[in-house]
Amino acid sequence: MSMNRIIAIMLLLFIIEGAVMPWIIPAGYGSRIIPHFMFVMVVFSALYSGRHRALFLGVSFGLLQDVVYFGHLLGVHSFVMGLIGYYTGVLLERRRATLMMAIAIIGFACILYDSLIFFVYKVFRITNETYAWALIDYILPSLFLQLAFALVVYVPVRRWFEAQSKAAPEKQEE
Amino acid sequence: MFMLMIGFILCIAVIGFSLSNRKELTWPEKFLKDSTGYVQQWFYKPAGYIAGFFEEIGNLRTIHEENEQLRITAAAYSRDKIKYNFIEKENARFKEELEFTKRQKEMYNYNYLIAQVISVSNDANNHSMNINLGSKNGIKPNMAVTTIDGLIGLTSSVTPYTATVTPITELDEASPTFNSIAATVMGREDDSFGILSSYNKETSRILMTRIAENDKMQAYDTVITSGLGNIYPRGIVIGTIETIQVGDFGLTSTATVKLAASFDHLTEVFVVQVPELEENE
Repeated sequence: MSMNRIIAIMLLLFIIEGAVMPWIIPAGYGSRIIPHFMFVMVVFSALYSGRHRALFLGVSFGLLQDVVYFGHLLGVHSFVMGLIGYYTGVLLERRRATLMMAIAIIGFACILYDSLIFFVYKVFRITNETYAWALIDYILPSLFLQLAFALVVYVPVRRWFEAQSKAAPEKQEE
Repeated sequence: MFMLMIGFILCIAVIGFSLSNRKELTWPEKFLKDSTGYVQQWFYKPAGYIAGFFEEIGNLRTIHEENEQLRITAAAYSRDKIKYNFIEKENARFKEELEFTKRQKEMYNYNYLIAQVISVSNDANNHSMNINLGSKNGIKPNMAVTTIDGLIGLTSSVTPYTATVTPITELDEASPTFNSIAATVMGREDDSFGILSSYNKETSRILMTRIAENDKMQAYDTVITSGLGNIYPRGIVIGTIETIQVGDFGLTSTATVKLAASFDHLTEVFVVQVPELEENE
């Protein structure tokens, strides 16, 4: 699985998040269940491929999202996605995570991601809600969507990223 | 740690750049938005058709009732249309006799542009959506965007082929990217006045402030835009009043307004183009 393929898949996920998911989520829950599929992929890449790749993917696709949906601030998603991707990699890239562990890490990372974004907006006074409300209203409901997505894509994604990280050292030796 | 510091500084720099009061997007942003918008529109519409098909199957049962109601409204409409035509002609004649300037005559001659939604943001604090009309089609920032139900937002940033709509759920007096909308009540357009100031996400109601104390608006009145200030068009439905209470200092009242439009599963929206007015006449 080459890097180009992974980038193409990330782009496809980005488009699905913005253009297909609003139709799949039932009416009335549009602001409560929020897909973060790209972010799940970034965490996968941190777990199975390496922290630098996760940082790269997180920063670039975060920036894409920031620019395309520019409403208040630029750079929030880019920063938070890159940061969480990188530090997940720092903590866990040496160990080969099992399915349960990967899902648990993705769950924690999603909560952290939504919370960090919430606090950045809170600092700039774009939202006035309390954190407890945000947690109940959208962070926890959308967590389940992310976990379901992670479960569905776990097997193929792990294979891609591991093939990727195996291929890379061989190239360096040549 | 080093990475964190550099990342943090960069992030603050970019945020600071985007917060500064800039009129237009930079060209890399425009290019990115246009190219993703081009791809996204292939996905959003077919997905909408498929989802809409299943929804319609679910709606089959209620269709008879709906037809009945529509027939009644159609009858009322044809009666009002006759009345409207007379009044409009009369009004045009009065304007002629009173020697209105060209600017005054064309002030309320709005143009509705149909746009397709091409994508919706997946950020809980920034529910912006993109539409497939841009500055090439005459869209400018701060134009009102409506559905058939009512006002949904204002265009915020515009690229040549797409535009971003900031929904009115992002209205907030304290936020640095703030726009307030002057509003009034249907049926008493000259007497009532209020300003839509902020949207409370926890109760999902919009707050209308600065209502005069002796204002006669009541619950279940329909709130529409007043068009005072000539930035936003007049007569666009916003929602219905739910409660009215005395405001913070006891001098004015505030009202909570339930929005008429829903923000889920949007397909076609209308951008209201206000006619160009020459300044300083």
